[in-house]
Amino acid sequence: MRYFGMKRALAGAAIAALAMNASAAHAASATGTATAKILRQITLTKTSDLQYATIISGATASTVAVSTAGAATCGAGLTCTGTTTAGSYNVQGTNGAVVLVGGDSSVTLNGSLGGTMSSTLTYSSPNITLGTTGGSFQVGGTLSVGANQASGDYSGTFNVTANYQ
Amino acid sequence: MLRFLKAFGLFTAAALGTAALPALAAGDLLVAPTRVILDGSRGTEVVLNNIGSEPATYRISLEIKRMTAEGGLDEIAEEDVTAAERAALDMIAFSPRRVTLPPNQPQVVRVGVRLPEGTPPGEYRAHMLFRAVPDAAPATAELKPASEGVSIALTPIYGITIPVIVRVGELGAEASIGDAWVSETRDGPAFNFDLARIGNRSVYGDIEVSRPGVAEPLLVARGIAVYPEVGARRVSLRVPGELAAKLKGPVRIRYSEDREIGGGTIDEAERVVK
Repeated sequence: MRYFGMKRALAGAAIAALAMNASAAHAASATGTATAKILRQITLTKTSDLQYATIISGATASTVAVSTAGAATCGAGLTCTGTTTAGSYNVQGTNGAVVLVGGDSSVTLNGSLGGTMSSTLTYSSPNITLGTTGGSFQVGGTLSVGANQASGDYSGTFNVTANYQ
Repeated sequence: MLRFLKAFGLFTAAALGTAALPALAAGDLLVAPTRVILDGSRGTEVVLNNIGSEPATYRISLEIKRMTAEGGLDEIAEEDVTAAERAALDMIAFSPRRVTLPPNQPQVVRVGVRLPEGTPPGEYRAHMLFRAVPDAAPATAELKPASEGVSIALTPIYGITIPVIVRVGELGAEASIGDAWVSETRDGPAFNFDLARIGNRSVYGDIEVSRPGVAEPLLVARGIAVYPEVGARRVSLRVPGELAAKLKGPVRIRYSEDREIGGGTIDEAERVVK
C-alpha cells in the first residue's frame, strides 16, 4: 500500500519534470533513492473554435468558406455577419518531434428548428514539427447553405486528433 | 527523503500550474509517454492529465490506423480490420476506459498484453486514443434565437493518439533513404524524401539533415516511423521558405534510432536536394 502511494507520488513527479524540462529531470535524479522515469509528453490545447458566425440564407444555395487563416468568403446571395475564426490547436512536446494532425473531413449540422447543413473541413497541414515552443495547426471549412435554409441554431461535432507515430 | 518529497510536492504544484497556463478550454490534455512498446507479458503505464481549466471526462480507446505512402495515418473502421489488426485490438488490455478528472489531475492508465497461445510472431499495433467527451448538450439556451438567420455551433472532439506496439518473437527491419527534394505545397514549402523499409517490424527514429562540413544540422525531425503495412513512405516536412532554400544542394541525411535506445544509425545517405 505504502509502495503504491510512493508510486503515485512519482507519477506526479514525472509530470512535474516534464512540464519543467531538464531542470526537473536533474532534481529527480539528485536523490539517488527514487526511480523516477522521465516520460516524453504531448499536450493538445484548443485555442480557438471554428466559427462561421451568423448567416442569413438567400433564395439560392450557396457556401460560406472560412480559410485555415480565419478569412471568410461569403457566397453569392448570402449575408454573413459577425466574426469568423478558424479552429486552432496548440501542440506541445519534444522539440523536433513530428506530429501528424488531422480529423474528420466533413461534419453534419442539425438545426434547432429542423433542417441540416453540412460543412467540409480542411486542415492547415498534415503534420507539424514541434519547435521549442511547440506548434499549432488550424481547421477551416466550407459550409453549404441550402436555398432558403431554415433559420435556427445549427450544431454539430467533429473529431480532431494529434497523432504520434 | 521526506523533505525532498515535500519540496517536490510544492514544486509539482508549481510546475503543473505553469503547464496549465496557456490552456483555458475544457478538454485540453497531456499524455505521456508518446509511444509504447510491449514485448512480453510485462505491462506499462501511460499518464493522462487534465491540463484544462475545467473538470473534464476523458474516454480512452484503441483504434486501428494504417500508414499511407504519403506518411499519414488512415483511421480504419472496426469492421474493416484485418485478422492481425483484430488480434492487436484483442491482445492489448487497458484500464480505465473512461475517467473524469478535475484540472491538473493526472490519471495512470495501465496497459497490458494478453497473448493468446500460439500467436504468430510479428508486430501487432493499435493506437490508443485519449479524448475529452464534450459536455452533454451544447447549451442551446445560451444561443440567442436567430429569427432570420442561422447560427452555427461546431464542437470539436479533440484528442491525442499514441501507438501501442506489441512485438512477438524475433523481429528485424532495415530502412533506406531514397531521393530528397524540396517542393511547394498548399501550406508552403516542404522538404521531402523517400524512406523504404524491409523486414517484419516497423522502424522508428530521428532524422537529421546536415550540410557536409557544417556542424549545426539544417533540420531535425524526431519520431519518424515506417510501419510494417508499408514498404516505403514519403517523409514530407513543412519548412520555412528560408530553410527550404538552404536545404537545396548537397546534404547528408541520417536516420537514427531513438536516443532512448542508443541512437544508432539506421541509414545514412548523401543526396543532392533539388
